[in-house]
Amino acid sequence: MPAKSKKINEVAISVEHLSVKYENEPVFTDITFDIPAGNIAAILGPNGSGKTTMIKTILDLVKKDSGNILIFGKHLHENRHRVAYVPQNFEFDKQFPMTVLEFMNLTKHKGADENIVQGKIAEVGLDSEVLSKRLGTLSGGQMQRVLIAQAILNDPDLLILDEPSTGIDVVGEAAFVQILKHLKEKHNTTILLVSHDVSLVLTIVDTVICLNKKLLCVGSPKSTLTAKKLADLYGNDSHIHEHHKGHNHKIDL
Amino acid sequence: MNLLTEIITFPFLQRALVAGFLLGLLLASLGVIATLRKMAFFGEGVAHASLAGIAIAIFAGIAPVPFAVLWAVIIAVLIYWLERKTKLPSDTVIGILFTASMALGVIIMSFTQGYQPELLSFLFGSILTIQNIDLVVISVSSIMILSWLGASLSSLTFLSLSEEAAQVAGINTKLQTLLFYIALAVATVLGVKILGIVLVSALIVLPPATSKMLTTSFKNYFIVSIVISEITILLGLLFSFVYDLPSGAVIVLVGSFIFVLSAIMNSFSKQN
Repeated sequence: MPAKSKKINEVAISVEHLSVKYENEPVFTDITFDIPAGNIAAILGPNGSGKTTMIKTILDLVKKDSGNILIFGKHLHENRHRVAYVPQNFEFDKQFPMTVLEFMNLTKHKGADENIVQGKIAEVGLDSEVLSKRLGTLSGGQMQRVLIAQAILNDPDLLILDEPSTGIDVVGEAAFVQILKHLKEKHNTTILLVSHDVSLVLTIVDTVICLNKKLLCVGSPKSTLTAKKLADLYGNDSHIHEHHKGHNHKIDL
Repeated sequence: MNLLTEIITFPFLQRALVAGFLLGLLLASLGVIATLRKMAFFGEGVAHASLAGIAIAIFAGIAPVPFAVLWAVIIAVLIYWLERKTKLPSDTVIGILFTASMALGVIIMSFTQGYQPELLSFLFGSILTIQNIDLVVISVSSIMILSWLGASLSSLTFLSLSEEAAQVAGINTKLQTLLFYIALAVATVLGVKILGIVLVSALIVLPPATSKMLTTSFKNYFIVSIVISEITILLGLLFSFVYDLPSGAVIVLVGSFIFVLSAIMNSFSKQN
């Protein structure tokens, strides 16, 4: 499938003065940022900083206290068909009898091409043989790829992933990076992900959003993620190592 | 051959078999989703809560099954509403509602004078008491619920796996969940006449639990659950008729026997 035409300067996600409270306690306050269409963006921050709440608010899974969110210039309910989501916890009974093909078909649009499932499975680097396997028999990395394949089944313009690298090994992580690059380059999909893994973020993202109750930084990782900024974000208890001209950071929390 | 003649001869047995067939289809189909959502206790709770509806109907001299269905809908909506408003775990809400409703049923029963054979048949199930009005209610409700389930199965299954992903995918998760609660409550109460308040929830749990051990795909899981449910009800009703035993207890014992047999087979097949 050819890359979708890209409108110049189109904004995929526009967040303006967003505040969210949970039981009267602010989760984050007065957050404003834009994510350009076609970007891979990541929200970084320590545990409890409001990262997951941020993407859930963008997806209207959590009610906002104040502020405004636009997806491709419209409210989510007008553009829901352009958005897909891979949650952090897709927990299900491992013994549940359901094949990968059946799982994929759950969200396939009626009248969609019968070969679309095979196509998407191939796009995430899996063999079609995986379609006949039971979901519970997949490894963490395979399951992550199946979840992405299902999320992109109906060709979303915006893909949001919550902690996508959790529970996958180094090989799986490398494959995951390739999938995101492929989606961006081939389909011009805007990708927003939440991650603890700064190294992973630095390898692929165009825009980074540093969040810890408030917005600490937003911009390209190269210009934004200095060791000092990361120390501000993660606190003085973290140990940050810079490598390769300051573009590679490892954080021990 | 003699048994077949009797089935043709006795209208009450014909009604019980038709009702049993429909209930087997209905309870197994909904049971597949209920077990996926870990809602086994829901059926137990609604069945016990239906005692109040049945007791009110008998006390007022109206048909118990249609009124119990209405009562089940009220209980299902209350469970849904309280889960969301109180943020209490589902089993806590169901535990409170079913004991309160059952207590109400016991109080109302105490106002009803004399021996109540109909009330006892609701507690333990009886194939003798299926009336034409019951058959009509069971048939109409089954058609409505199964039509809705057929149209909503994919979205209902997806939301049972991840409510958040389903919501983002555009599925009306609140409405589908509420409709599922109502459907499961109505189906449970419809089964009360044959299986009894005490035992009806077994038919929501046993066939899917047995099928789960024998299948690897959702399609087969669904089909085998229904087949096991129908075999369980058919054998249970026939044994109940032949040996003059309470139908609910016999059906549950047949279902439990099939479950144990499947577990043993499953254990041996894994060893090999």
